[in-house]
Amino acid sequence: MVLEKKSSARVEAGQRRVLDEATRQRRLTRQLEALEKDNFQDDPLSSLPPPGPTARLPAFSESEEPEKKKRKTRGDHFKQRFRKNFTTLLEEENLSEKPEPNYLSAAAPPSSLPPRHFCCVCGFPSHYTCTTCGGRYCSSKCLITHRETRCLKWTL
Amino acid sequence: LYSQVEFADTSIIITEPYFNFSSIQESMTEILFEEYQFQSALRTNAGSLSAHHFFHTKPSELCCLVVDSGFSFTHIAPYCRSKKLKEGIRRINVGGKLLTNHLKEIISYRQLHVMDETYVINQVKEDVCYVSQHFYRDMDIAQLKGEDNTLLRDYVLPDFSTIKKGFCKPREEMVFSGKYKTSEQILRLANERFAVPEMLFHPSDIGIQEMGIPEAIVDSVQSLPEGFRERLEAELRSLVPAHLPVSVLLPANPVCYSWEGGKLLAHTPDYDEMVVTREDYEENGHLVCEDKFDI
Repeated sequence: MVLEKKSSARVEAGQRRVLDEATRQRRLTRQLEALEKDNFQDDPLSSLPPPGPTARLPAFSESEEPEKKKRKTRGDHFKQRFRKNFTTLLEEENLSEKPEPNYLSAAAPPSSLPPRHFCCVCGFPSHYTCTTCGGRYCSSKCLITHRETRCLKWTL
Repeated sequence: LYSQVEFADTSIIITEPYFNFSSIQESMTEILFEEYQFQSALRTNAGSLSAHHFFHTKPSELCCLVVDSGFSFTHIAPYCRSKKLKEGIRRINVGGKLLTNHLKEIISYRQLHVMDETYVINQVKEDVCYVSQHFYRDMDIAQLKGEDNTLLRDYVLPDFSTIKKGFCKPREEMVFSGKYKTSEQILRLANERFAVPEMLFHPSDIGIQEMGIPEAIVDSVQSLPEGFRERLEAELRSLVPAHLPVSVLLPANPVCYSWEGGKLLAHTPDYDEMVVTREDYEENGHLVCEDKFDI
């Protein structure tokens, strides 16, 4: 019965929906990609005046600003047009064919130790797996939270 | 400050990651020589400078293994007689950025939405996180209620008016049951404190199928040429008691260690032979850099 419905991402098991292996893997990849984001952000303190006697000095740099702005927009245009992301660069290098040690060959192989499992709600060691999405939980209290918030959706 | 430096008479040491893309290396050379007109340049890896620092301070040592945990990844790089052994370099895709993002994610899920507060959470990470010595024992302690939970910390978030920088509430001021009377925003952290740095040792905890640092070190050493492992082992054996197979050195200031190494390197007599000068570059182009710099 399971085989028949494998084409759909969610396999029916009784009344509850169950995610198949491929979807679980996709969700994990998406989650890991989110963790790789750079999230560039300015120092929130940088807008505050520096402490000490210099704080009262007025800023004199205003006259230079228009010139700077102009150059910036031109640079942005250049960046937009010739932008290459990490994956393009990686593909261009064509590393998999090179025999010498390179970026791809230096990646650490999978661990030989068995994976450890932690409750995705509270973070403590867990022994149970959510039958629907494969997430881990440690107690029925955490399972309820998990079902209400994370199960079958990513709130990222 | 930088406007006072005359680039045309200055030599620069610039670091880049191991196995940097050649197109990026090329543009870096171009920027250094054509845009800034530096007199000479040395492109190298930060780990190489750390290794140089190490060999310089301990001249009797023949080999070392640099573990460089940075923003995007952690590299393990063996050096023998100040030569980098490329086949032994291992990369784990876990760095400070990933730790901060993970901490941000779990705090946002469990307590308070902080997804847009990268800077603040980075500070939280630096203030409260630590590497556990007994992971499961700490997990048990973190689960205890009230005063018994010695690992629990209440972190006061900055509001950028009265509190400029976040801090841990002193233990005697902590309220273990009920709410705080004051209006500060507080994060309550227990297992997050050590579960986050634990990803360096077990990337598989969050689903990254890679070895942790200790395993990767073993893997790196095993991949090295005939004799290296035995030699390293023999030297370590003679240095430390039998039950402690590894000798690990943490520089007093790891952030500046490779910078200091670069400073030392710049003062060695061989430095002039390591750099590429602008005349060299103008004559031979990027090729001379490819030959000279081993990234």
